[in-house]
Amino acid sequence: MNALHRPSQSAALASAAPILRTQNLTVRFDEFPAVRDVDLSIADGELRVIIGANGAGKSTLLDLLCGKTLPSEGEIWLHDRNITGIGEAAIARSGVGRKFQTPTVFKDMTVLENLQVASNRRVRVFQNLFDRVKSGPSDKEIAVAERTGLLGSMKRKASELSHGQLQWLELAMVLSQDPKIILLDEPAAGMTSAETDKTAELLLDLAGQHTVLVIEHDMAFVRRICRTITVMHQGSVLAEGTAEEIERNPAVIEAYLGSATLSHA
Amino acid sequence: MTYRTASIVAYVVFFAVVLALPLVLNSFWTNRVAIYLVYSICAIGISMSWGYAGILSLGQGLFFGMGSYMLAMSLTLAVPENNPVPQLMLLNMEPDAVRDLCCVTTGSFLWIPFRSITVGMIAGIVVPCILAAAIGYVMFKRRTTGVYVSIITLAFALIGQLLIINNQPLTGGFNGLANLALLNIGGFEFDPYGPSAYYTVALTLLAVILLARYMLSGRIGQILKAIREDEARARYLGYDVENYKLFIFCVSAGVAGLAGMLFTLTSEFATPSLMATSLSISMVIWAATGGRASLLGACIGALIVNFVGSLASESATFQPVWPIILGLLFVFVVLFMPNGIAGIFKALVERSGKAERFAEAELSAREA
Ligand SMILES: Nc1ncnc2c1ncn2[C@@H]1O[C@H](COP(=O)(O)OP(=O)(O)O)[C@@H](O)[C@H]1O
Ligand SMILES: [Mg+2]
Repeated sequence: MNALHRPSQSAALASAAPILRTQNLTVRFDEFPAVRDVDLSIADGELRVIIGANGAGKSTLLDLLCGKTLPSEGEIWLHDRNITGIGEAAIARSGVGRKFQTPTVFKDMTVLENLQVASNRRVRVFQNLFDRVKSGPSDKEIAVAERTGLLGSMKRKASELSHGQLQWLELAMVLSQDPKIILLDEPAAGMTSAETDKTAELLLDLAGQHTVLVIEHDMAFVRRICRTITVMHQGSVLAEGTAEEIERNPAVIEAYLGSATLSHA
Repeated sequence: MTYRTASIVAYVVFFAVVLALPLVLNSFWTNRVAIYLVYSICAIGISMSWGYAGILSLGQGLFFGMGSYMLAMSLTLAVPENNPVPQLMLLNMEPDAVRDLCCVTTGSFLWIPFRSITVGMIAGIVVPCILAAAIGYVMFKRRTTGVYVSIITLAFALIGQLLIINNQPLTGGFNGLANLALLNIGGFEFDPYGPSAYYTVALTLLAVILLARYMLSGRIGQILKAIREDEARARYLGYDVENYKLFIFCVSAGVAGLAGMLFTLTSEFATPSLMATSLSISMVIWAATGGRASLLGACIGALIVNFVGSLASESATFQPVWPIILGLLFVFVVLFMPNGIAGIFKALVERSGKAERFAEAELSAREA
């Protein structure tokens, strides 16, 4: 499947205008630079994978992109808009969707209610003041639930779902948001191998309609879904390229020496 | 019977009882119950912000008190001997001061608009809302949450109470405003001990609870619940969480202000003790006992706790320990019935619903 997409798309995308761009993106926690001088350029419709050892700053990078953390230096541009420091909600509205490493959903609400809150794109207070909620799912909510295998669980409370299902639910919520760019932090973490396969398929399916930026540890998984890989190491970008290029890159091999992440790949 | 049907039945029964009560009560109890219904409106305000949005305000008494004072100011000026200047100001003014509301005491000009009852009634809702907007803006923009919100609101209520007590020439100080005219609208006089004030309170309660229910059962209720569950997630979905919190906090303050005006109507005074910490905390206990996530539950909680409280205050043994009992009740509710009376009601309905379905299934199995 991956062999089918890979060569043509990466060539085409390289020339496309970037949807997301960062310049000198840096954040320090008490002088410790968790992310430093990251210049990222993601093309519209691209599926980009970020890999790196634990503590390399991958999650922090996504935190910067979605506004959870304010950068100490640098800028983030979405298309031609500078979204640095405009706040999480405004960033989300401008088209950035974020899925966290540990799923965050509304636990005490049903799957359907979670999707309804996510798919409602009229987000202002007074737009919702006297707006009713449908008792059943809309076509869009059915479609996204079907895609993530949650159709049978619509009436269940989120707190009753398995860990894998929670990951799916959060993904479904992010999809309902209809974002231009989706940030996924280890979407397959804690999933069974069957669920992981399904995640990989879904990501491939998403690429093209959406721009996807995904953090992943598992190199087998990465090779399945991958076009371009960005390797992070100690807060900086160490290398960028295809899976083969990355695995042959001496700097990457050095950084990963003794690490299980690449060796079992 | 589904929970939905059961709760509609509960609403109907509750309002049938509330509307029928004056037929069987004497004037003393008509007035008492009217005041308890005022407290119910307060509890609804608490349920809206705490139960739905997770904002636990311990300063609701500030808004309640402000509402009470706004109407009381108008009713003070409606007494003939309080014109052109209220007695309380004459007692406290400098000997050579001009006897006019503009300048008899410092700040007395603030009273001028209250010559109009209409202004007093509008201010009773608008002033608490503006106050809540100012406090809420500072809190929520700074992303204050949880217990800090409780502490800040509590502090503001204390400040409000002190400002009123310490500005006796302007506010009547510790004594509050007690020499009030009866509310008179278009020649109709509201008798605090008769059905007119009672039904004003009861119908306001009906309107508030139905409007609140309509609003919160819709989209905004769902979004507030989501914010209560995980406000960060709500932000990443594009919701400006601060604005939602500010909105419900102001609405809840407006409801408390409205209740405060009705308190003045039924009890014929306004006092700084309405802003005391103990009353604000009591309001939370009423809502918790009835079930904070249920508007009707909170309302019934206020009625029950106050009714039992008034029985206790008539007994020499229970009267001194009532605050302790109230405190223990709160601990008990928090530990053992987090959803209050409404939660128990829901569990019972759902269990009987299950039993019913089980019996039906059994029956059809036997028939087959
Ligand atoms: N809020 C924070 N305060 C202090 N240090 C942090 C914070 N967030 C992350 N870090 C540090 O930044 C580094 C990168 O973390 P993270 O981005 O979570 O790594 P990764 O996701 O690549 O495993 C780690 O050393 C972590 O301890
Ligand atoms: Mg991480």
